[in-house]
Amino acid sequence: MFGKYKPMWGEKTQLKSSYDVVIIGGGLHSLATAYFLAKEHGITDVAIIEKNYIGFGGAGRNTAIVRANQRTQYNVPLYKEALDLWPVLTKELDYNLMFNNCGNLNLMHSEAAMKAARMTIATAQFHGVESHLIDAKEAKELVPALNISEDITYPIHGAMFHPPGGVVRHDAVVWGLARGAAKHGVEIHQQTEAIAINTSNGKIVSVETSRGSISTNKVLISAGGYSAGLIYKMLGIKLPISVLTIQAMVTQPVKPLLNHVVSSGAYHCYANQTLKGEIATGAHMDHWPNYTTQTTAHYIKHQAEALSEFLPCLRGLRFMRIWAGLADMTPDMAPILDGNDQIEGFYFNCGWGYFGFKSCTASGKYMAQFMADGEAPDMIKPFNLKRYEQHKLMGETAELVSYTPNN
Amino acid sequence: MSLTITCPVCGKRDGYEFRFGGEDKGPRPEEDSLTPQTWCEYVHLNKSVAGVQKEWWVHKDGCGSWFTIYRNTVMNVEVQESEACR
Repeated sequence: MFGKYKPMWGEKTQLKSSYDVVIIGGGLHSLATAYFLAKEHGITDVAIIEKNYIGFGGAGRNTAIVRANQRTQYNVPLYKEALDLWPVLTKELDYNLMFNNCGNLNLMHSEAAMKAARMTIATAQFHGVESHLIDAKEAKELVPALNISEDITYPIHGAMFHPPGGVVRHDAVVWGLARGAAKHGVEIHQQTEAIAINTSNGKIVSVETSRGSISTNKVLISAGGYSAGLIYKMLGIKLPISVLTIQAMVTQPVKPLLNHVVSSGAYHCYANQTLKGEIATGAHMDHWPNYTTQTTAHYIKHQAEALSEFLPCLRGLRFMRIWAGLADMTPDMAPILDGNDQIEGFYFNCGWGYFGFKSCTASGKYMAQFMADGEAPDMIKPFNLKRYEQHKLMGETAELVSYTPNN
Repeated sequence: MSLTITCPVCGKRDGYEFRFGGEDKGPRPEEDSLTPQTWCEYVHLNKSVAGVQKEWWVHKDGCGSWFTIYRNTVMNVEVQESEACR
């Protein structure tokens, strides 16, 4: 992969000793930020440094679902913009991102869940995002394979239907953004590990890498699940983050039977059918922090049980592959986008949990604006780190997510 | 995910019998002169170490004890204190 071949995004370049901006992490948020920095703000002297290869982490491990039916006034507009950017970027990058606008069906299994869905839908509609509450029969019309009978563990009461969402080919986004960024002059350095960040008088001065030192006065750490650990290790800044391993898997390919993303909170299961015909499904997480990305039989069994209850036609289907990635969870299920505060010139973008894929385009756009101006744009201002000590946590979940015995 | 944890009362048991109780942050801060920063640090902020950390667990489906162990978060295995502090 790293041999004599020419990368698809352009020529390999030598790592220089100085850049205007250094971005640590070669995932989607970094690539998108670099792309918008170069294209929208004319900041082209940018190096992305990636320890492994671009798209190694969450970018290539998520279940590719995109949607904008979040819960709070701050999150909905951000995710809406991210969703609206897929067709725009497909054109702009001249790269087929394979946005399949199939819509999301979020199943509700109790009257309490239906009530919560009503509020989420009202928020979405207020922000101009299409989302409807439908009953079980209407859900069955949309997805005939659904089991809406009373004889399952959690009978389906209804669903939240969100037509603007769907699925995007995540690898294509990595490649498209890499090529787009490189076209505007951004350098991508794979197999280059960030080791330390040096500061002087509260300002960023340089980054030490496995390939030498780079002087710069602007650094962004945007390394997905690895961000929190790196930020503490390199700069001593603690974050309200717990890093957990999340698993996903695909079945053998079958004929088209699922033309929407179907998800269920009660069953801890979400599924969609890939263009190849596989049922791709993701699960809940073990609740103790770890960086293993280990897969386990426990979740294969869990997914099989869940899917065979609410989509009984999948009984007997075989799982072909299973993998895992990291989710950096915050207590309020909302990300942290901050910078130029704790240390001048230091920016960070993390805490997306398992929402990092669906948000990467908008997050990149606004982080680029943030880094160009030195001041947070209104859209992402509320996502600062200070909100935790000011008790201004966002209500993305009704109850705080804390990886303690209460959860 | 395969994990065994050593309970001070019941000995080495399957990790699923326990619940994680957070990174060890020392004693709860004193109520007098408590600032929002100190409280936030105690309640929310983590080091997210990729390596060995000291952390709390409770034997939820067992004896109910609270205790700390050292665990390598990259390997997901419990390690001895002597090994951790080396």
